[in-house]
Amino acid sequence: MLEEAGEVLESVLKASCLPLSFLLFVPAVLLLLGPPPAAEAAHEFTVYRMQQYELGGQPYGTRSAVLNTEARTVEADVLSRRCVMMRLVDFSYEQYQKALRQSAGAVVIILPRSISSVPQDVVRQFMEIEPEMLAMETIVPVYFAVEDEELLSIYEQTRAASASQGSASAAEVLLHTATANGFQMVTSGAQSKAINDWLIPSVEGRLTGLGGEDLPTVVIVAHYDSFGVAPWLSHGADSNGSGISVLLELARLFSRLYTYRRTHAGYNLLFFASGGGKFNYQGTKRWLEDNLDHTDSSLLQDNVAFVLCLDTLGRGNSLHLHVSKPPKEGTLQHAFLRELELVVASQFPEVKFSMVHKKINLAEDMLAWEHERFAIRRLPAFTISHLESHRDSLRNSIMDRRARVDTKALTRNTRIIAEALTRVIYNLTDKGAPADLQIFTDQMQIQQEQLESVMDWLSSQPRAAQLIDKDSTFLSTLEYYMGRYLKDVKQHHVKADKRDPEFVFYDQLKQVMNAYRVKPAIFDLLLAVCIAAYLGVAYVAVQHFGLLYKMIQRLSLKAKQQ
Amino acid sequence: MTLFHFGNCFALAYCPYFITYKCSGLSEYSAFWRCVQAGATYLLVQLGKMLFLATFFPTWEGPSGGYDLVGEFLKATVDVADLGGLQLALGRGAGKGEHRILVAAMGWATAELLTSRCVPLWVGARGIEFDWRHVQMGLDSNISLVRHVAAAALLWASGRHDLPPRLRLPLGGLLVAAAYEGFLTGWAGQALALGPWGALGVRALGAAALGLGALRLLVPLLPPP
Repeated sequence: MLEEAGEVLESVLKASCLPLSFLLFVPAVLLLLGPPPAAEAAHEFTVYRMQQYELGGQPYGTRSAVLNTEARTVEADVLSRRCVMMRLVDFSYEQYQKALRQSAGAVVIILPRSISSVPQDVVRQFMEIEPEMLAMETIVPVYFAVEDEELLSIYEQTRAASASQGSASAAEVLLHTATANGFQMVTSGAQSKAINDWLIPSVEGRLTGLGGEDLPTVVIVAHYDSFGVAPWLSHGADSNGSGISVLLELARLFSRLYTYRRTHAGYNLLFFASGGGKFNYQGTKRWLEDNLDHTDSSLLQDNVAFVLCLDTLGRGNSLHLHVSKPPKEGTLQHAFLRELELVVASQFPEVKFSMVHKKINLAEDMLAWEHERFAIRRLPAFTISHLESHRDSLRNSIMDRRARVDTKALTRNTRIIAEALTRVIYNLTDKGAPADLQIFTDQMQIQQEQLESVMDWLSSQPRAAQLIDKDSTFLSTLEYYMGRYLKDVKQHHVKADKRDPEFVFYDQLKQVMNAYRVKPAIFDLLLAVCIAAYLGVAYVAVQHFGLLYKMIQRLSLKAKQQ
Repeated sequence: MTLFHFGNCFALAYCPYFITYKCSGLSEYSAFWRCVQAGATYLLVQLGKMLFLATFFPTWEGPSGGYDLVGEFLKATVDVADLGGLQLALGRGAGKGEHRILVAAMGWATAELLTSRCVPLWVGARGIEFDWRHVQMGLDSNISLVRHVAAAALLWASGRHDLPPRLRLPLGGLLVAAAYEGFLTGWAGQALALGPWGALGVRALGAAALGLGALRLLVPLLPPP
């Protein structure tokens, strides 16, 4: 037959329609040279990568972003160069460390669809583990994926395959290869690299006091960004969405008070929503440098009464005022502290209030609270929070979601702060106002629905510093909101220094992962053997086709005779 | 999955054709060129059918998930053109009577294999993802071979004058079944809710039935041994 094929080809080539014959070969050549195309995957899903950043030259988090390995679960014996899949409910730090020690290719942690359905002890345990995962040097990528049915079925199949790996006989293994599926996990996208010229934006606004020049200034600061083991999953509801919502509510209340001449106080109020707070308060640091070192006159240079930093105020029955130096008698800081104690004792006796004194430790990598930045520049500052220690894992967890914020507690804390601030600014105690005087009632009430909707808005999106730049919608909404109540609202940007960057962020934080169904190599051989057998049978059948024909002939003749 | 898997599926699809060609003694009759001509007829008929379907049959928005009976039935009616094309190929094929059946059927089926199965196999079987679909495609092409040979035999028999009259009715019935085979097996597969393997089994049964029926009808026409 090949000779005949050759004859045909010759006649085609000899014919005058040369271009036509050329057309025969072009697609064949193209197909042969082309690469294997991207097949449709069994399942395609979004994965969120663990943090990757450098702070002060020190790298944290995972280093890599590409993946093309087979999937296994922790039950398998061999984990090296495989993608290890774990579910959050079965997650344990020892297994994670074991996988990394055996030089796994990657780790994928599957999170349930709604974090609030996870039992509290698992949540607590994971919150404790998060900073350790980041501190560990991880060369391989670590991904988080939200589960859906297909991903769950992939996980179950992989687990069944991994668990039975060591213990099956040869026949079972052969049967297994024919029926079961392996999965190859492949990420699209390039290796991660550092983002150049990333801008961390912050927003400031002010309310000018009544009276001439040189009025004392009260600064209210809260950082808006959030932090967690995966940037795209850190919604930071309590830390620090609650801080920002309190800041916005205070801005609203005081702008109301300052509208009327009677209640326009003789204090300037400066509000600052800082960015990069979880990365050692980069926004605040640069803002202070710009205002104190690089401008001639600024509210921060002159008469600063005190700086109040708001950090994590969304739940609990305690409030702590963190200071780096206990305030001296007779100063406005001391007055504020006293007013806070007074308000809590008389109006909110269920709240436990205390002052926490912690000296600034410059030897540590990260500063504890935001007020320490101001204290370093010799401005009197404190941070108010319901957390007692800055090391509380709630501050840096992806588990910090909307459900963890108790709006009633948030409203109450806002009330306490607003009342104490007003008493200081209007000097109410010296003027003889009683301790249980409630200023913010009726028309001036703290609006709980407003706080709730602001909290909903804040915790509905990830606010990691790597994700918010000056064009992001979150920032423009924040600026607009502050612009409704404050004057001179403007953005302030931080760019890392070129030669000695304080912070470096890496990209490829959200990728698409494909899970392809694959069969082991043995399967190909098995299939080849089966097909060879089938072809042998077909050959024999065709050779002896005449027998079939004779049989039918005999049957039909017999039928005719009858 | 890999090139090896592609080789497997291609061998599964193509080797029976090769075996049939070799063992049926066609090569002795220098029938290769005529097979190619039958294949060209196939291409032309498919082109005509596609144009016709595209022009007159807009996409049916039938009940989703269910088998759109009327739409598929009408579409299958256009497949009668397949039989017409096969008849054309039969008419032009030279050689003795019964060899024309095989020449026409081989050419037709090979053209179908090359156009509708080679490219999906090349594109799909070489990718990373594994799917039983490609093995099923190979088996389906074997079943198509049997079906085309049976249809060609039936057409040849209907063109003969020495067919006993009482066999005309079964011949007509089998021809109709051959034309609507795709529709009937698809509907059966849907109605019985069989998976892809089940549908393949149904097609195999259909082709076997057609083949046996065609053989039975050919008995009076061929010279006795």
